[in-house]
Amino acid sequence: MLSSDQEDLRLLRESARILFERAGGSGRSRKLRDAGGGWDAAMIRELAEAGVFGVTVPEENGGLGMGLAAGGVIAEEVGRVIAPEPVVVTVGLSLGLLRRLCPDHEKVGQIVGGETVLAVAWQERGPNGGPAEASCRYTDGKLTGGKAWVVGADGADGFLVLAEGDSGPVLVLADAKANMLSIKKKTQADGSVMGELSFSETPAEQLAEGPAVQDALTEAVNDATALAAAELVGLSDRAFEITLDYIKTREQFDKPIGSFQVIQHRAVDLHVMREVAQAGVREVLAQMDHETDPKTRARLASRAKARAVSAAKKITRDAIQLHGAVGYTDEFDIGLYLNRALVLSAWLGDDAYHRRVWFDAREEEGAA
Amino acid sequence: MTDWNAMSDAEFRKEVRQFFEAEYPEELRHLPHRPKFAEIEHWHRKLHAKGWVAPAWPAEYGGMGLSAAKLLIFYEEQQRWGVNRGRDMGVQMVGPLIIKFGTQEQKDYWLPRILSCEDIWCQGYSEPGAGSDLANLRTRAEADGDDFVINGQKIWTTMAHDATHIFMLVRTDPDTPRKQQGISFLLAPMDQPGVDVRTITTLSGETEFCEVFFDNARTPQKNLVGELNKGWTMAKALLSFERIFIGSPSLAQNALGQLESFARGRGAFDDPVFRDRFAQAALDVEDHAALYSRFADQLKRGETLGADVSMLKIWVTECFQRITELMIEAAGPDGGTIGPLQVGNVGVDVLSSFYKARPTTIYGGSNEIQRNILSKAVLGLPG
Ligand SMILES: Cc1cc2nc3c(=O)[nH]c(=O)nc-3n(C[C@H](O)[C@H](O)[C@H](O)COP(=O)(O)OP(=O)(O)OC[C@H]3O[C@@H](n4cnc5c(N)ncnc54)[C@H](O)[C@@H]3O)c2cc1C
Repeated sequence: MLSSDQEDLRLLRESARILFERAGGSGRSRKLRDAGGGWDAAMIRELAEAGVFGVTVPEENGGLGMGLAAGGVIAEEVGRVIAPEPVVVTVGLSLGLLRRLCPDHEKVGQIVGGETVLAVAWQERGPNGGPAEASCRYTDGKLTGGKAWVVGADGADGFLVLAEGDSGPVLVLADAKANMLSIKKKTQADGSVMGELSFSETPAEQLAEGPAVQDALTEAVNDATALAAAELVGLSDRAFEITLDYIKTREQFDKPIGSFQVIQHRAVDLHVMREVAQAGVREVLAQMDHETDPKTRARLASRAKARAVSAAKKITRDAIQLHGAVGYTDEFDIGLYLNRALVLSAWLGDDAYHRRVWFDAREEEGAA
Repeated sequence: MTDWNAMSDAEFRKEVRQFFEAEYPEELRHLPHRPKFAEIEHWHRKLHAKGWVAPAWPAEYGGMGLSAAKLLIFYEEQQRWGVNRGRDMGVQMVGPLIIKFGTQEQKDYWLPRILSCEDIWCQGYSEPGAGSDLANLRTRAEADGDDFVINGQKIWTTMAHDATHIFMLVRTDPDTPRKQQGISFLLAPMDQPGVDVRTITTLSGETEFCEVFFDNARTPQKNLVGELNKGWTMAKALLSFERIFIGSPSLAQNALGQLESFARGRGAFDDPVFRDRFAQAALDVEDHAALYSRFADQLKRGETLGADVSMLKIWVTECFQRITELMIEAAGPDGGTIGPLQVGNVGVDVLSSFYKARPTTIYGGSNEIQRNILSKAVLGLPG
């Protein structure tokens, strides 16, 4: 017998899987990539109808009120079909911010309802190309400065921007079509687009201000990091299945290549890695739902991302090797998984980064 | 008689923990070697008086009759406190087999003697020509009057030099179509002229295992357990619970704790490369524990575990090895020194941990064999 919580998650997983498969699975994702790397507006509405975006939003604000573990279930399904829709960005970041700072704002309902998509702009690029201290300013209703690594910048209707106001941090909303906003598009390995925004007195509406903004950002990033880990878990799961099917059917030396022991043992290692990643990440998400201390939540999120990235890297790269030359072609789906894994790994910190963060957090807790 | 299973998990855990903490001799905690019985006899007597020698056995045979859930808690507490498992091959291996396949007479005779450690058992499966390919075993047992006469050789027999009895797989029919057939499960006394035990010194200089030679050794026919020539399937049937036990996180967790205090004392954490590798190992242990609890939950729900439980053993033993390798690295120029290395006011025996980790990937079905099993039984790969 599964507990009722687990039963809810199982049903959620089942319906999300059906939804994505009916829509065309990874084939749909390939088509969208070929069409320029955006997402499908009809799919956004369909996901919204299924309650996907509001999964962690409280019921009184129109969501499902289910928590991060449920968000993880959905993210895994997104990962399995490498869907380009910004599910983790929305659940983790944009709604992660709004539900904490201004749950009654009309945008919350619009996002949950799939009427609008907002991207979140908080990091900035420094002179050496890496992340730098934020310097973007907000005064008199106008934004000045730049933001980098904005996922979903290409299709979003607007941006939630973290900036320095006259008396501390603020969260503001800038329309994607606002005057004096320019977006430089950087195509990613998976065909998606990351945006670099520059504002010069761009009009924007203030949504929240004060130290709460920074706190909400920290928590939203924690959520998104853990959800991205879940997306990688789903991606790894499917990439492994594709590979397993392939080594069972591809024949050389008059036998399926999966009958060679060296291939079998590598396959087992990938399988074990995927299972460990799945167990670890799911445990983290469930724990984050019950954990209130932001530092502990950050450590947990780092644990999840470190594991998920290292598993996804290993699985997708070995998958290419096990496919032989066809693995190196664009025609075979396995490459799509490798490319998405590259992008999801780099976003919000890779495994080495998160091991560092995790270790430091552990040291700090130990010292406290 | 206490019905342990009626207690809540928390109550039961508390009870077990209190007993271990109060009664287990401090000097025996986390023993780095396998003790002879004399060394732990005192503790065994306490455990026996308490009725806790055989947590998994049904109460009617003198066990605690624990459910899978309670059993896991019992073992977790045992490992947490570094309680030595003692000379438990009788309890873990022969006992369950006799309970499952033995006659009433065999049960009445052997089981109490296992509990009291009047008989101390060793496991005679492996032979020079039968390791991973165990069914290749050739030690013969032939009927002669009321006895079996045994000829052949066993090897790697752990603690045979401190055992009174051996349970063994022997060939009772050499002419079968498949070599898994014609194997029987036999009990034999060690103290007789036809049995010669020679210790083998291990890599770490210990004498843990032995060669056992049988030269017209005898055992009564009534010491055959189960049907003649059905020993193979019986021995296999025993493995199910063992398989999660051998994949439990405790060895790696304890080693990680040791690594951490040692590395801290030695300043190894100042090195960012070491920090990263430590973090990797620590995360490997944490995430393994998450996977382990998934299987443990399955047991608690009363489900039986499938072949995929093997992955716990693969992951945790290899992780255990990496952790002990990191200890050696952290020891720097002391990495080759035998005995405890001083850090602060504790001594950490780096080499002994390293040695202890090596055979974990060899015994209990080598990790290569586990991979073979997973690839066929779980992944469905051909050939
Ligand atoms: C510390 C220790 C205690 C032990 N205690 C006992 C005991 O009490 N009683 C007892 O009966 N036995 C005991 N054993 C023996 C143990 O069960 C065997 O070592 C084990 O079954 C492996 O057999 P082997 O050593 O002959 O290695 P082999 O089977 O010769 O294997 C050598 C190497 O080849 C690999 N290999 C073998 N077959 C395959 C295959 N099909 N595919 C891929 N790789 C393969 C193995 O994984 C291993 O790496 C003990 C062993 C150790 C190390």
